[in-house]
Amino acid sequence: MKKNISLNVNGEARDLCIPPNETLLDTLRTEMFLTGSKQGCDTGGCGCCTVLIDGESRYSCMTYTVTVGERNVTTIEGISEGETLDKLQQAFVDTGAVQCGYCTCGMIMSAKQLLSTNPNPSESEIRKGLSGNLCRCTGYHKIVEAVKVAAQSEVK
Amino acid sequence: MNKISDTVGSRVPHHDAIDKVTGGRGFPVNVNLAGMLHGRLLRSPYAHAEIVSINIEAAQSLPGVRAILTPDDVTQKTYSPIYFMPTEGLACIQDMSLMGRRIRHAGQAVAAVAADTIEIAEQAAQLIDIEYKELPAVFNVDDALADGAPAIHDYTNNNVALNETFETGDPDAGFAEADYVFEHTYETSRINICSLEPHVCVSDVDPAGNVVIHSSMQHLYGLREKLAFVLDLPVSKVKVIKPPYIGGGFGGKLDITPIEPLSAILSKMTGRPVRMVLSRAEEFMTSNKCPIKVELKTGVKADGTITARQATSTLDAGGYATHGSTVIMVHGLFGYCFTYSCENRRWNGRSIHTNNVTSGGFRGYGGPQASFAVEQQVDEMCNELGLDPVEFRIKNSHREGEKHPFFDGNFTTYRFDECLRLGAERIGWADRKPAGSGVGPIKSGIGLGCAVAWTSNCAAQPDLYEHSGAFIKLNPDGSADVCSAAIDIGCGQNTVFCQIVAAELGIPVEQVRMASADTSNVPFDAPMHASRGTNAVGAAVKAAAADTKKQLFKVAATMLDCKPEDLESNDGQVFVTTSPENTVSIATVAARADSPLVTMTSEGPQKDSTPFRGTIIGSSSLSPTTSPIPAAAMYIKVDVNTDTGEVKVVKAVYAHDIGKVINPAGAEGQVEGGLQQAIGYTLMEHTQFDSETGACLTSDFLDYKMATAVEMPSEIDCIFIESDDPDGPFGAKSLSECCLIAPPGAIANAIYNATGARVRDLPITPEKVLRALGKL
Repeated sequence: MKKNISLNVNGEARDLCIPPNETLLDTLRTEMFLTGSKQGCDTGGCGCCTVLIDGESRYSCMTYTVTVGERNVTTIEGISEGETLDKLQQAFVDTGAVQCGYCTCGMIMSAKQLLSTNPNPSESEIRKGLSGNLCRCTGYHKIVEAVKVAAQSEVK
Repeated sequence: MNKISDTVGSRVPHHDAIDKVTGGRGFPVNVNLAGMLHGRLLRSPYAHAEIVSINIEAAQSLPGVRAILTPDDVTQKTYSPIYFMPTEGLACIQDMSLMGRRIRHAGQAVAAVAADTIEIAEQAAQLIDIEYKELPAVFNVDDALADGAPAIHDYTNNNVALNETFETGDPDAGFAEADYVFEHTYETSRINICSLEPHVCVSDVDPAGNVVIHSSMQHLYGLREKLAFVLDLPVSKVKVIKPPYIGGGFGGKLDITPIEPLSAILSKMTGRPVRMVLSRAEEFMTSNKCPIKVELKTGVKADGTITARQATSTLDAGGYATHGSTVIMVHGLFGYCFTYSCENRRWNGRSIHTNNVTSGGFRGYGGPQASFAVEQQVDEMCNELGLDPVEFRIKNSHREGEKHPFFDGNFTTYRFDECLRLGAERIGWADRKPAGSGVGPIKSGIGLGCAVAWTSNCAAQPDLYEHSGAFIKLNPDGSADVCSAAIDIGCGQNTVFCQIVAAELGIPVEQVRMASADTSNVPFDAPMHASRGTNAVGAAVKAAAADTKKQLFKVAATMLDCKPEDLESNDGQVFVTTSPENTVSIATVAARADSPLVTMTSEGPQKDSTPFRGTIIGSSSLSPTTSPIPAAAMYIKVDVNTDTGEVKVVKAVYAHDIGKVINPAGAEGQVEGGLQQAIGYTLMEHTQFDSETGACLTSDFLDYKMATAVEMPSEIDCIFIESDDPDGPFGAKSLSECCLIAPPGAIANAIYNATGARVRDLPITPEKVLRALGKL
């Protein structure tokens, strides 16, 4: 049995007919072709699927789409404007924080929530803020640096 | 302006970084073909069993199920799944079949389903009824070697997959000559590759049987060769599409898994593309680092000169030999024998079958298991004899200019001593306190561990695919397309290759890009493994660029009225060496070569006089003749809470003789990422299996602790020593594996320096630290 819903993603409402047990990650990837949110574990352990729901970072693999309701979902595809990257995206590029890149989008979304609640975080606050996101390539070193750079450019 | 220094050696942002921060379109996990079905595997709950009967009726009748495969439907011929070993190669043990009726480890695939959705496929898989006859099973090496142990394979009657002894000099005389002989045993554990993109493939087979496959594997041509072998097809009927990049490899994507051939067979049966992806739980039973027990015996003179070295290494290969039988050799020869310089060496290595999951490849490929043992024992010997571990290592290391005693990998450049001295200075080695000193429960310590001489990229070794090739094409706008079968597994090779081509051709790096490729249109290339990307593939793309430049200069010479040998190129321009004002842009030359032979004008057809016409291209196909030897020293500072046993790595200083650094940010990333894996390997990661059933108990990241940003040190200091290797592209050697080989011993030695407690088996958990401190 499927259910008709309206889902607000990146500022646009979409009418969808989906099974009630479909995760937001599956809806984004398979119904809406927003493949920036990645499947890494399906159990809320890696953070590759992180999106913002009304500004709060959430594992989309642990969220049923039907529970989102009227709230606004923001994915990595929704944070840049045309060719102008979000400050975090630009900082990830500039600092060399991207290696294989599979964790990158989820990492940026978690950092986005961190900076929205704490625009000038300390290094240890950045590390804690990213601790729900795993990375196997970078050792997080340049990712932490990227968030610092993005925070500084916000402050300026 | 010197173009090489502008391009090679600069922090060029990764070419695919913008794509990756905006969504990452190129991952194989995103491949989505029209009409695509989804496949799932059913796996055996038993570790050692025979299939008695299979009933697929209930599964078949489930709506949406399109095809089912069981062992009865597929070939039972055996093969080795390792990509860099040709299936017909001499050294690999061919003991695995695609889906056998005999089960040798829990989680072995026993059936596959293709259905309209992954949920239906999963449901159908669970409806397949298989009756097993359980066989007695063994889950550790001692039990596997005991008298009367069940025989796991027919090809060996004592569960020994491989038993090799290697000896040089006279070890017995060396031990007799020693003032002291040290004997210690070290053990490493099974950790998972944990690449965040899982193994995934989409196969699409046409009615004529031509296979097209998209895959997350690390080796385009290896996949083609294995797939063709298993499916009994000529390689020309298998086309492997190169992904722009994959979400991590680390050696865990070096062998064919059941999903690639099974998805192809399912696609053939259904006439539709079939996608198969491993769940994280399946990943944990797929690519685990080989656990090895290393028994070391070392003879030393009172002044610290090593007189004899001996090791016995025992590896738990699991149900099938695959990597176990090659990791043990790399471990013994590269990781143990040819590190410190002592001609009296003896090594015995055994790879043993158990009913555990099959061991896999993982960054360092046997090296970290060796260095964890050797580097700790060096520390133990120095403590015992009152010698400085830095000086001890320098005293017993090879020297630059020496011939390698065994391999075609001479110490042409080798600055290990500089790694040790510069690192020691940066960490504050001179101020290191005696082991276990200091007051209060939190104790700090400094430890050293090394990758002494890593003969990486296996040059000229038999049975290994190690050659490389590339094509380059110049476009009329002055840009270049680089075509190579080498896959960027996350190390930034796409960017490094572009930098090398840009420097060789003299064009801006933004003007170079990696082209799409598949096995029908690029030369063979070895897997992206063994720290070989920059050195070996880099050399191939540089040679292709040099070939391209020759063609470029031939055409440019006709435009600048000179000889090709009078020309140089830089910053997108070709110019006459002796009169640099005499110049033409590369774009103009490429456009001229590409343009029509005859131009129509009002005066009629004008024939162009340029003698060399057609697209300017270059190519290379190389076989490596040398294997430049990198070396590294890792200094680690830890804080150990002696009340709780917790260890925190607070600082790392890593010094590495890398040859030329092509991209410093990329190189640092290898060090930093290697440290994340090393901290996990040494302190926290451990794929868990039930010791009585062999079932994988680790199913997700909640069961498996790997380092997050919180557990990583904020200070990671990289020192790159740029020896200029004559054979590497622009002098580049190699890096990646050493970043996981050097740290484990360093962390263990730092824990000892902090607490005076020695832990010789991995992972060094708080419990083991407390036990070593006598508190448990």
